[in-house]
Amino acid sequence: MFAPPMPTPRAQPRVPVLDLDRVRAHTLPNGLRLRILADGSAPTLSYYTFFQVGSRNERLGTTGISHLFEHMMFNGAARYGPKEFDRVLEARGGHSNAYTSNDVTAYYEDLASDALETVVDLESDRMRSLRLTSDSLEQEREVVKEERRLRTENSIFGLMEEQLEALVFLAHPYRWPVIGWMEDIERISREDCEAFFRTYYAPNNAAIYAVGDLDPDRTLALVESHYADIPSGPRPAPVPLGEPPQRGERRAKVRYPAQAPALLAGWRGPAARSPDSAALDVLQVCLAVGESSRLRRRLVQEDEVAVSVSISWGWRIDPGVFLAFAELAPGVRTGRAEATLWEEIDRVATRGVSAAEVRRAQALLRSSVLHELATHHGVAHALGQAESLLGDWREAGRALDHYAAVGPKDVRRVAAAYLDPSRRCVVVLEPEVRR
Amino acid sequence: MNGGGGRIALPPIRRERLPNGLEVVVAERGGVPLAAVRLVLRGGASLDPAGRAGLAHLVALAARRGTRRRTGPEIDLAVESLGAELGAGVDEDATYFGLSAPAEVLPRCLEVLADVATAPTFPPREVQRLRRREIASLAHDLDEPALVADRAMLQAAYGAHPYGHPPEGRVRDLRATRRADVGAFHARWYRPPAALLVVVGKVNAEEVLALARRRLGAWRASGEAPPPPGPPAPPRTAVLVVDKPDVTQTQVRIASAGFARSSPDYFPGMVASALLGGGFTSRLMEAIRVNRGLSYGVRSRFVTSGAGGLFYVSTFTKVETTAEIVQVALDETARFCAEGPGEEELERTRSYLCGLFPLSLETHDQLAEKLADLALYGLSDEEVSAFRERVRAVTPEAAREVGRRYFPLADRLVVAVGPAKAVARALERYGPVSVVPAGKLA
Repeated sequence: MFAPPMPTPRAQPRVPVLDLDRVRAHTLPNGLRLRILADGSAPTLSYYTFFQVGSRNERLGTTGISHLFEHMMFNGAARYGPKEFDRVLEARGGHSNAYTSNDVTAYYEDLASDALETVVDLESDRMRSLRLTSDSLEQEREVVKEERRLRTENSIFGLMEEQLEALVFLAHPYRWPVIGWMEDIERISREDCEAFFRTYYAPNNAAIYAVGDLDPDRTLALVESHYADIPSGPRPAPVPLGEPPQRGERRAKVRYPAQAPALLAGWRGPAARSPDSAALDVLQVCLAVGESSRLRRRLVQEDEVAVSVSISWGWRIDPGVFLAFAELAPGVRTGRAEATLWEEIDRVATRGVSAAEVRRAQALLRSSVLHELATHHGVAHALGQAESLLGDWREAGRALDHYAAVGPKDVRRVAAAYLDPSRRCVVVLEPEVRR
Repeated sequence: MNGGGGRIALPPIRRERLPNGLEVVVAERGGVPLAAVRLVLRGGASLDPAGRAGLAHLVALAARRGTRRRTGPEIDLAVESLGAELGAGVDEDATYFGLSAPAEVLPRCLEVLADVATAPTFPPREVQRLRRREIASLAHDLDEPALVADRAMLQAAYGAHPYGHPPEGRVRDLRATRRADVGAFHARWYRPPAALLVVVGKVNAEEVLALARRRLGAWRASGEAPPPPGPPAPPRTAVLVVDKPDVTQTQVRIASAGFARSSPDYFPGMVASALLGGGFTSRLMEAIRVNRGLSYGVRSRFVTSGAGGLFYVSTFTKVETTAEIVQVALDETARFCAEGPGEEELERTRSYLCGLFPLSLETHDQLAEKLADLALYGLSDEEVSAFRERVRAVTPEAAREVGRRYFPLADRLVVAVGPAKAVARALERYGPVSVVPAGKLA
């Protein structure tokens, strides 16, 4: 919770970026978890509901149901009918949205603080008594198909990412895309949605994070009075975790009429709660965050094989993917770009990084944590993310401690352990010439 | 009704014009120990000379690639080692250098920023490299249908006006650009009287002002003020199909004339556009997504620049329903202009805009951007503090009137990025159709 040592002219102020002692945590008898943080710095509040369900809880044949279901949550419940959710919220000066990931489905409302009761009423109504009609399912199905066309079918990165995840995972449900396969989106039935709702949207599978200009006692009383009578649901089925070891590089090619080639590589990393996760974050910054990162300097500035390069180490409940993406300059042979990328990664795995590079990464990560915690929305999300992925909301306030504990040796160790050439997966985009 | 109280409280703001003409704006506020900085130079991409589209953008990027005191890599390292980020870019009206830094290292970062903006040396190798990278980036951009649609729309709507070319430039112009063009542009347009420095964050305003005087007070540059571009002509009724034979979804834009940022139509326009195509309950969202499942998203907005603007609707749908989505959007627009908004609908939209507004000023970076815009477009703080009164003052008649004046009714430009073979014929009823291969847009 304290700032790490950094090469700054003055000592860092030793103040917590997130005061965990001020978070009020409570669990209702039906299993619903509630975390409240009062902060009156702005007259707004953010209300997040996390459901512990994502594409990892799905089965082949109905892939994409978590995401499609997220859309269904906006189509009316017993008290607030179709189209009313957003209308009521917007009339109170609020704004709502949601997202689905491999691991979780999260809904939020950002609003003026005097509208808290409206939000509690709206959210508890749909958790208690969502209406799942065939009409709204058919309409959302079409909307989701358009979303898939937008983000996957007509997106170079989307096409490549879908191939990569299917290479990295043979058995784990991370193998399929969060949005689901097109045919599955078409197949999901109303009955599938009803069963899904009973299990995964029960209060014992959910947590609420309310952050902002609010009174904790009153908030707790409001939530209790609105949610306490919603019955618990069955225990969700366990997620199949067995993933056979990878014993050699896996490759795929995407041929598409693109203007220029691209390269996407991925390695299976540890689960988010592994102590190595923080070291991989530091590695990510050393490699590709900022103009002075290793890959930007080498691939973009010195060798000019790439137009852009980025790394994404996504924390997930089960072992996730450490991913490198490079948009290559038109005409560059992908083999040449690949060789350069492997050389730089190998250099870190064998020789490590300097102490100055680690300090630079820690300074950038500190700023990024501060940016995240600068808004009520960001704090509520960070608490929910920490609890759903790591099992404890307190982890939202501990990120800087974890980063501060990482040294050059850790960076080298995780690079060597996870970014092994025999465990990498590679997707190459080959521009297709139209005749 | 509710959703958002009265006046918006701004933090204390200090303003000072330095003897060299630089305007400095400092807002001291609480919150996270970060500082956001914007150094803004008036002009931007509208100053690109003929045949040099993308020059202002290239100058901004190249400025941070070397000064008399530091090489490009040294600048990168100096800033990033402090946990800060330095960015540069342009839009049609201005060049922006943006800095986001831990508050305690602001003095050191501001020194680098001043060095970069006022004393760049444009090392030849770095300039040539950046030029090659920007040309390569334009190729990648062609693979993003939404970006292609936005650029095609601006080009078709504004034509030869200085707002008509993409700020990122064009391949043939960038190929022709020389380092001498870069140096000359900087010498001519980077001048303190045309510049503005905004600092927002957990800082001491006195200290920041002293710092600005020390780092930027000695900046001298001669030359003229950037000439404001004349008002653009309204777009002519036409259909532009940008051919991408392999996509399964068409990107659609429908554009009409708009107004400048300083226009009195700004607030009624914003409310009318939100009614038609903002948020999740707008008329377009309801007609296109909720009732027909034609798209995942649709929105409308006014682009308000210094010399004029545009109104446009932006959406996408599977290739087969391209003409249908255009028709639904135009029908809804016509219906709005005929009937105007209902009382309840208008009240909800006003509350939505009023409630959302404080959230758009929450971070230091957001407020810095807002203060920079106010100064750039010569607007007072009342634009922010009286935001809610001004939104609430918009009547149903005013919303309908502004819709009738600007929304795409008789005159409109339709842009579709998709397979021409499948979509061009069906769009003929919206105006004379021209087809351009996507590759031609770079």
